[in-house]
Amino acid sequence: MSDAIVFEDVSKFYGDVLGVNRVNLSLPPGITSLVGPNGSGKTTLMNLMTGLIRPSRGSIRILGMTCDEPEKFFRLVGYCTQFDSFPKGLTGYEFLYSYLLLFGYDRTTCDELAWKAIANVGLTEAAHRKAAGYSKGMRQRIRLAQALVHDPRILILDEPLNGLDPLVRAETIALFRSFAKRGCHVILSSHVLHEVDIISDQVVLMSGGYVVAEGKIQDVRDEIQDQPMQILIRCDRPSELAARLFQQDHVVEARLHKDRLGLVVKTSSPSRFYLLMNKIALDGIGIESVAPVDDDVNSVYGYLIGTEEAAR
Amino acid sequence: MAVYKRSYRSYSGPMTPAWSRFLVLYRASRRALFRSRGSTAFFVLCFFFPLLCVLGVYANSNLAAISFLGERASQALRLDINGTFFLVYLTVQSTLSFILTAFIGPGLISPDLANGALTLYLSRPMSRAEYVLGKCSVLFIILSEITWVPGLVIFAVQASLAGWHWASHNMWIATGIFLGSLIWILVLSLLAMALSAWVKWRIAAGAFLLAVFFMGGGFAQAINSVLRTKQGYLLDISNLVSVIWRDLLRAQNDASVPAGEAWVAVLAFVGLCLLLLVRKLKANEVVR
Amino acid sequence: MKQLWRAQAAAVIRLELKKTLFARRGLWIYFLAFAPVALFLAHSLVEIHLHGVRREMARRMSRPLTEADFAAVHEGMTRDEVVAVLGRPAASRMQVRTTVKGPGQVELTPLESLQYSDGRTELIVWLRNGTVAGTGTTSGISLGQDSHVFAGVFQFFFLRLAVFFGCLGIFMNLFRGEMLDKSMHFYLLAPIRREVLLAGKYLAGLLAATVIFASSTALQIAAMLVQFDSNAIDQYLYKNHGFAEIASYLGITVLACVGYGSVFLAAGLLFRNPIIPAAFVLIWEAANPILPSLLKKVSVIYYLKSLCPVQIPIDPAMPPLIALLVSNAQPISAYVAVIGLFVLSAAVLATSMKLVHTLEINYTTE
Repeated sequence: MSDAIVFEDVSKFYGDVLGVNRVNLSLPPGITSLVGPNGSGKTTLMNLMTGLIRPSRGSIRILGMTCDEPEKFFRLVGYCTQFDSFPKGLTGYEFLYSYLLLFGYDRTTCDELAWKAIANVGLTEAAHRKAAGYSKGMRQRIRLAQALVHDPRILILDEPLNGLDPLVRAETIALFRSFAKRGCHVILSSHVLHEVDIISDQVVLMSGGYVVAEGKIQDVRDEIQDQPMQILIRCDRPSELAARLFQQDHVVEARLHKDRLGLVVKTSSPSRFYLLMNKIALDGIGIESVAPVDDDVNSVYGYLIGTEEAAR
Repeated sequence: MAVYKRSYRSYSGPMTPAWSRFLVLYRASRRALFRSRGSTAFFVLCFFFPLLCVLGVYANSNLAAISFLGERASQALRLDINGTFFLVYLTVQSTLSFILTAFIGPGLISPDLANGALTLYLSRPMSRAEYVLGKCSVLFIILSEITWVPGLVIFAVQASLAGWHWASHNMWIATGIFLGSLIWILVLSLLAMALSAWVKWRIAAGAFLLAVFFMGGGFAQAINSVLRTKQGYLLDISNLVSVIWRDLLRAQNDASVPAGEAWVAVLAFVGLCLLLLVRKLKANEVVR
Repeated sequence: MKQLWRAQAAAVIRLELKKTLFARRGLWIYFLAFAPVALFLAHSLVEIHLHGVRREMARRMSRPLTEADFAAVHEGMTRDEVVAVLGRPAASRMQVRTTVKGPGQVELTPLESLQYSDGRTELIVWLRNGTVAGTGTTSGISLGQDSHVFAGVFQFFFLRLAVFFGCLGIFMNLFRGEMLDKSMHFYLLAPIRREVLLAGKYLAGLLAATVIFASSTALQIAAMLVQFDSNAIDQYLYKNHGFAEIASYLGITVLACVGYGSVFLAAGLLFRNPIIPAAFVLIWEAANPILPSLLKKVSVIYYLKSLCPVQIPIDPAMPPLIALLVSNAQPISAYVAVIGLFVLSAAVLATSMKLVHTLEINYTTE
């Protein structure tokens, strides 16, 4: 059995409207973030993965399975959707309990699993209140509980941190991490790039229904050749270093950091730049640290999607 | 706050006059309706029967024009242009207007309530009465276009062919067409809007509209059968309106309900719809 | 696997039954189903009251009367002759009619009505100027008459409108309602075959509809019978095939739920707007008698009508809109009707299975 989530030439059209187009992906275990502006196709991709919608073209296999085998498929997959509604009249506990009954578990098991998941998301006290009457954060938590309740191997989470307070946010992120550590898949979408940066093992950047980039964020950054890489050098003589750097043709820009204790350099060839830095260090300029400043999701997003959005 | 002070300018351009502001809602709804090809096609279909009636009236007054069809066919096509003729016209067009209302009506208010748009409307310079008037005018104008307007055109064609004498002697027919259509439009519009305001789902409101007419008629029959009475007919709104039409167009009454009782029952029904509508919309009014 | 499917279907039924039977939005279905019960009950209460009045009148008579005594009264008899035949009346009312004959000329006519009763039938004798001008009898309604009325209400109102619209509400809600509520994904994300989900939902809808409408049928019959004495009821049940009739009505109600349920379940999957299929099915069912023989069979009412124990002719005074709905279909044998209805429902459900397999969540366009 494959351990990847594989999209093969997947397209989805809603009539004349493009959902996603020609998506080819192979997502390994770990935390994968889908990043992109509104309407870029993130939710469509998640709905396609879980069979809530069918691809107009192509195929999707999750650990070698398709959603046409629901008895096996949905025991492995847990999906926390963005749909903010619940079956009429159910309490938080009943919502999970009824969901578990659909798995064919006996009542005792359903009861135990439901309470465990409720405790996991900190809703024990509110468990017997109507789910529809929950606050936004509580509704998000009970949806998370639904995705986790059957201990799936693949967690698909659409904007899972929306509406959560900072404490619960931190706990939830820790939960995702522990999940990924066990070799499971966590696929999430988020608008908060800072959080994506912290938690993701890899990202899928989407724009206008197309996958713009995918992979580890540093690898993606390295692939963006048309944008010179920005590197912050902490050193004792930044002006002298700047003078040395300007002699190199691959250095596009060098400016003093605002605290005047370092230099921000833009280079079109990071590999040649790092070789040069070794040489400079040997020449006696005291270099404390060399670190790229634009290989985070935020910068990559800006380079790849910001420009596309602006071009529209 | 600084941003507000520097950049906010209230709108100072030309404004729709207050008296016709309700028509903004009408124009928007009409545009939305005719964006659907199905609705447009059905609307066009609604003119087929009036056109047939005009041709019938013309042929009736110009038998020479259809003489090529032969004597028997010409005789068969002979029509008595009287109250009964226009009663048939009203019956056909009212059925079509009912179907059109089932399409348009449920979507008039329920989406505004479901999406919180009513509060937005009422926070603009628009009162509840103007809102109701605006929404009501959608059905009123569109249904008028397929009921009394073509009806009066047929009457005018007949009057022009038969002469002033006929027209002056049969002016009650024109009044009957106009008043009969008006009462039907009023019933349909207010019922559709009341259902649209009280039933959250647009499509459920449509189903209820269907049920009110058919179930009302059926239950009226059941009451009459079980209780051995004729009072059940007072619940059958389509039959009540039909009695009013017969009265207005001086056609033979089926004697289910006296015309006076029919008028009172229909007006009570209209009042009830209006009350339901106002009650539902009241909760959403923004106090300015 | 079959055990899992059974457990899953049971879970679906449990959830859906709760939603259908106890939801506030479904109250109108109860109203629809139980309105005829209220009607029959009201009728029975009125009849019980009138029966009491007649019995009381009979008690006040100077001697027990028979129908032969009533028949002995004829026009032209004097008041004294009537009293000689029937005795002192239970009640009498006098009035004087004034007729203007001309200027200053007024004719006064004394009128009197005498009321007699034998306990079941009431006789009214009208006297003008002291002689009998006419007689009239009003009797209590017989069980035969009422069962005939029940047959009419059952066929023309209950079956074709109440069960029809009730099933529309219940079965459309199963899939389309969840789409509108944006909660359909709850089921579609569970490890349950969509076919099992459909079967579970259909059975839940059927169970709910059967409970509501079959109990309404039973209560209507009970409400109709409550006014009659035990002898009349025994006669109806044991000698006039009453039990068989009641069983037929209950069976037809269940079959109507089976048939209409399958049709509206499929329509809920196929259409976004139930007005269109509802109106279409309503017209299709109404037009059944004029359809070609093959198309006739693709109709629920075609089979149900044939199973009804009492055939009711259409009242010519019925308004056109209702007359359109109650046109009679050609009867077929009960055996063929039941099998035919099941085959039709099975075919519609098989189509629904195909539809549900490709069902997609698309809340935004609802």
